[in-house]
Amino acid sequence: MTETRPALNDHDFMKALLNLLIPPSASRELPGAGALGLETAVAAALQDDPSLGPMVEAGALAVREAALAEHPEGLPAMAPEAGTKVVEAQLTAHPFLMMGLLRYLYPAYYQHPQVLEGIGEPPRPPFPEGFDVEATDAELLEKLLARRRT
Amino acid sequence: MPNEPVGVLVIGAGASGAAFAWSIADTGMSVLCLDQGPWMKQQDYPSNGLDWEARGMGDFSPSPNVRGLAADYPINEEQSEISPLMFNAVGGSTILWAAHFPRLTPRDFRSKSEDGVGEDWPIDYQTLEPYFALNDRMMGVSGLAGDPAYPYHEPPLPPLRFGKTGNTLASGFEKLGWHWWPSDSAILSREYEGRAACINLGPCLSGCAQGAKASTDITYWPVAQRKGVQVRTGCRVREITVGADGMAEGVLYYDPEGQLQEQKAEIVVLACNGIGTPRLLLNSVSKQHPDGLANSSGLVGKNLMFHPYAAITGIFAEPLHGRRGPVGCSFWSHEFYRTDRSRGFVRGYSFEAVRGLGPAQSALSGMIQGLVPWGEDHHRAFDRFYDHTASLLAITEDLAEETNTVTLDPELTDSHGIPAPKVSYRLSENSRKMLAHAVERGKEALMAAGAVETFAQPLFREAGWHLMGTARMGRDPSTSVVNEWGQAHDVKNLFIVDGSVFVTAGAVNPTSTIQANALYVADSIKKNIETLFDPA
Ligand SMILES: Cc1cc2nc3c(=O)[nH]c(=O)nc-3n(C[C@H](O)[C@H](O)[C@H](O)COP(=O)(O)OP(=O)(O)OC[C@H]3O[C@@H](n4cnc5c(N)ncnc54)[C@H](O)[C@@H]3O)c2cc1C
Ligand code: SF4
Repeated sequence: MTETRPALNDHDFMKALLNLLIPPSASRELPGAGALGLETAVAAALQDDPSLGPMVEAGALAVREAALAEHPEGLPAMAPEAGTKVVEAQLTAHPFLMMGLLRYLYPAYYQHPQVLEGIGEPPRPPFPEGFDVEATDAELLEKLLARRRT
Repeated sequence: MPNEPVGVLVIGAGASGAAFAWSIADTGMSVLCLDQGPWMKQQDYPSNGLDWEARGMGDFSPSPNVRGLAADYPINEEQSEISPLMFNAVGGSTILWAAHFPRLTPRDFRSKSEDGVGEDWPIDYQTLEPYFALNDRMMGVSGLAGDPAYPYHEPPLPPLRFGKTGNTLASGFEKLGWHWWPSDSAILSREYEGRAACINLGPCLSGCAQGAKASTDITYWPVAQRKGVQVRTGCRVREITVGADGMAEGVLYYDPEGQLQEQKAEIVVLACNGIGTPRLLLNSVSKQHPDGLANSSGLVGKNLMFHPYAAITGIFAEPLHGRRGPVGCSFWSHEFYRTDRSRGFVRGYSFEAVRGLGPAQSALSGMIQGLVPWGEDHHRAFDRFYDHTASLLAITEDLAEETNTVTLDPELTDSHGIPAPKVSYRLSENSRKMLAHAVERGKEALMAAGAVETFAQPLFREAGWHLMGTARMGRDPSTSVVNEWGQAHDVKNLFIVDGSVFVTAGAVNPTSTIQANALYVADSIKKNIETLFDPA
């Protein structure tokens, strides 16, 4: 079966692909990127990017075709190791595939509340609460003040 | 209805335009400022949302070519090794700046006499000293008095907290016995003049939602407006017009509806930054000025200086909480600032200690360095990297070269059809040697601070934050564009107050000096108003 939809708009394929890029952590505290519903936002951002978008679409299409050649249900039905091999095999022909995907996937993934909690950050915007930071080391300051110009 | 003529017309509401307009308002002349950008709102800044890092790379990117907003003009940077960065709004690039606030050192004003390179400025540190101090009070500067690298001065507010990142990095400099000092920072360590103190949000580079960082929309402009200065936003100046006598008459600009308007003025002041100013001068062609306004020397747009940067990063075993706190402000080092010819280059560089990145930027930076892969190993590598890095930026002195230029692009235009600037910039051999030296010394400092691994970007391309030199100051009209009062040699009622007038770049961020100079030019006009327009 040949797919005709753009690969970036093929939700099941994209979920599987994103999950290969950021799989769930071993402890499962951090979800895989495919489980967070980020595929629509990542695809939309890429389709808005005139330089990276077309290169990523071409690479993703090649991955989808190659996966379908190996498994009748394509990437979503493949084991992670097998899926990873399929992706890696396309990287020479599509050198910007990963850079393009990750340019938009990382910001989307690392702003997700579940991920922020998982990496030990509060799941809130910086403003208005802000943060505390350590005071300047008093010993260091003392040494500095001994050298100051008056 | 035609616009009422004004006494002083300032073009550009950024760092220098704001300081100048505030000061010149004392004359009682009517003062109007035109800016192509809007007023910003703190509630719209990215740090109000979870998507703050994504927006910092999108609608708040420092590159006008990435943002492509209505207020922006495109820049052809294909022939430049460094990308020019800026923001176009009331506040100008101070909306996005890091607010690291060093002054040029006294020696930076006389590089020719000291080291036989560049040119000496027609003014010196002492001339600007009272204006540095006034500007520190207006902006709200935190710091520690007594840095031996500078003449004694007292910042109005105590220094910002270093945080664990700053403490760790400073310990490395201390161990090596190298100079370091808490940075002067235009960020409030305490409440000041009705503005709230910094609460360590971190994303200073995409606007300060707390209002603790001194962008001029919240420092100079409110006070200037209370003095009667008018600001007209969304107004892009196309050209400066001249009369039969060769004096500036005013400007032609597009209003927010896209209608061409004329604004007459007795004095025209350019504050459009080191790229916007030469662009506007080169676009202002007339019978008297066929090569662009104020360009009889042929130097408008030449001698562009950026400050090539290297970024040197250490990975540490302990978490550093580095995304918290003002990203660009903890301490500086002038250990390698002065010429030592045994190093193989002339002049020198400073280090600026910077804090860490947010999680998305960390993942991207780790990807670029090949340290954070995608796939099975991603989380383990991310864990080791995120919150475990601290960086030093090396800011190298950029020696002026006539071949580094801002010209008009023959094809590219902005949304009003006005020719866009083209930037051509190549690094000198001297800069390359300096960057290489800085990378090695930076690694040494990071290792002394306890880094387990280091990596470097020997030339940081996305670092064209400082735009200088393209309409330089000097006494000789054949080798400079403006005189020691910022007055164009060729057009007596035209003044330039932004970084274009820099004769040398020094090896520190320029804005403290840009603003001090703008205040000094305003005072020079006030003092000399009676004779200012007399023939030479
Ligand atoms: C991300 C970033 C970080 C920085 N960090 C630091 C730092 O830590 N320390 C430091 O010292 N400096 C820093 N800088 C540099 C600093 O912001 C600039 O040196 C300073 O703002 C320059 O002031 P200016 O008045 O010359 O120009 P700007 O502040 O850039 O203002 C120019 C104004 O002119 C307007 N304009 C231009 N052309 C026209 C036209 N034709 N018609 C109408 N309006 C026009 C623009 O819209 C803009 O508002 C940073 C800059 C950036 C972008
Ligand atoms: S760290 Fe301070 S200056 Fe920077 S954005 Fe936050 S509150 Fe503003």
